[in-house]
Amino acid sequence: MHDYVYPSIFLAYFMFFIFLVGGIFFLVKSLRHGYWGKNSEDPKYRMLADDEQEMTTRKASEVEG
Amino acid sequence: MPAPAHVSALPYGGPGSVSPVESIHEDTTAKWFMLSAISYFFVVGIVALTIAAKFVWPQLLGTVSVLTYGRLRPLHVNGMLFGWLLAADMGLAYYFVPRLCGVKLWSEKLGVATAIIWNIIVLGAVVMLPMGLNKGWEYAELPSVLSALVVVAWVCFGINVFATVATRKYEQMYVSLWYTMGTILWTTFVYATGNIAVFFTTGVNQANLNWMYVHNAVGLIFTPIGLAIAYYFIPKASSTPLYSHKLSMVGFWALAFVYVWTGAHHMLHGPISQWLQTIAITFSLMLLIPVWTVVYNFFATMRGQWYQLRENVPLKFLMSGVVFYLLTCFQGPMHSLRSVNAIVSKTDWIPGHAHMALLGCFSFFAIAGCFYTIPRLFRTELHSIPLANWSFWFFMIGGLGFFVTLWLGGFWQGWQWNNPSIPFIDTVRALKPVWTVRFFSGILMFLGITTFLYNIWATVIDSQGKARSAAAVVNA
Repeated sequence: MHDYVYPSIFLAYFMFFIFLVGGIFFLVKSLRHGYWGKNSEDPKYRMLADDEQEMTTRKASEVEG
Repeated sequence: MPAPAHVSALPYGGPGSVSPVESIHEDTTAKWFMLSAISYFFVVGIVALTIAAKFVWPQLLGTVSVLTYGRLRPLHVNGMLFGWLLAADMGLAYYFVPRLCGVKLWSEKLGVATAIIWNIIVLGAVVMLPMGLNKGWEYAELPSVLSALVVVAWVCFGINVFATVATRKYEQMYVSLWYTMGTILWTTFVYATGNIAVFFTTGVNQANLNWMYVHNAVGLIFTPIGLAIAYYFIPKASSTPLYSHKLSMVGFWALAFVYVWTGAHHMLHGPISQWLQTIAITFSLMLLIPVWTVVYNFFATMRGQWYQLRENVPLKFLMSGVVFYLLTCFQGPMHSLRSVNAIVSKTDWIPGHAHMALLGCFSFFAIAGCFYTIPRLFRTELHSIPLANWSFWFFMIGGLGFFVTLWLGGFWQGWQWNNPSIPFIDTVRALKPVWTVRFFSGILMFLGITTFLYNIWATVIDSQGKARSAAAVVNA
């Protein structure tokens, strides 16, 4: 019987490494996209607006256009 | 106190709650997922009640193999996890992801195909688990063929969500999108660990991997998607902006870096290395950081808005879920301490804790989401707001009876187990009153499920009737 304990541990470390690198990459990217700056609160106001009215209107104007 | 102008526009069921114009969102996938999830909630609720009864009356249903505790318990666990909660959460994600991105869902056809695969998985489990076809691992009981289908469905879900996010109108994403994308990535890793990698290890390492999976099934699957739902629906249902988006991002990143290390606290005092146990305890305590950011944010959002809980059923479920989230996330780190763990580990305290997380917190969020979205999806009003209030109180009273009884009973059980002079069977007999209260609490919760199911389906059927009447008027 093969013992896969060590390969599986190395695989787990590798996956943790990938996730750590991915996490740091997106954290840095979020800094660049302004999530921690003066515009960081914009999304919470935007999500409250009902987008359906606007998009339906836009869709209608596109049809007319 | 009179409601401010912005409130009257939103709480569900009221005038203005339904957009009078045709939406660009088809929402077929969201409807499929949510309606099937709610139906499975009812079916698996019957199984839950049956196994709760078997604790009190062990001879119930005799020795019919498909109805034994060992066959029904995996069906209950997997049915609630995958049939109800994850399916409802996915349905809600299909609702809010396109809206937060300001675009249509990338592929409604792929979404419907995903929903069909998901239903095949759940129906397959309903047939195969009672037959004893079972991988034999906690939370990973689904037979391999169904696990493979879960992977396929999850990849389809991930493609649809990421492709929708990629086409979004706004660069900055609301925190619910971050949590949803995190759920997709973490679930891939967690599910593969618990259902594939576990079979390539042996002994203690295998057990450790399994507990890493079990804990992260809650912590990295249901927690992030549950929080995505709460972050979306609390501001929406209360029509109040979130207190701090920046704080929500701090919570997201704290969860991302902390949660994955905590699984080994299930094996404290077991045969794993002490350093691993200590790491698990340390990271379990660090979980208080993301939990504080979440709970503070929601409570601060509700400042001055608490009066809305009188009338607003989704908000009742949401904020009760937040309180349960606080309780369960305080309880978890505390019982990860070696001294507390020596008493409560493997006792009834643990199902009390797990049920408060998955039912009290995340199911409350999902129920709130369904009550909020279903009337909007079907362009109608909720069938009965009083009945929805009844559902809330059935769930609340039944849930509290269940959780509190199991915590007290679990502690009592642990003290008895720590006394070697008490024969084990006496500790089993002693718990019978606890299990009796649990069964009757289960009846209340099942009434909550039944009224919830009836209310949702009646809403859907009412909307079809109204649509037919409107069509008849137009044709006439």
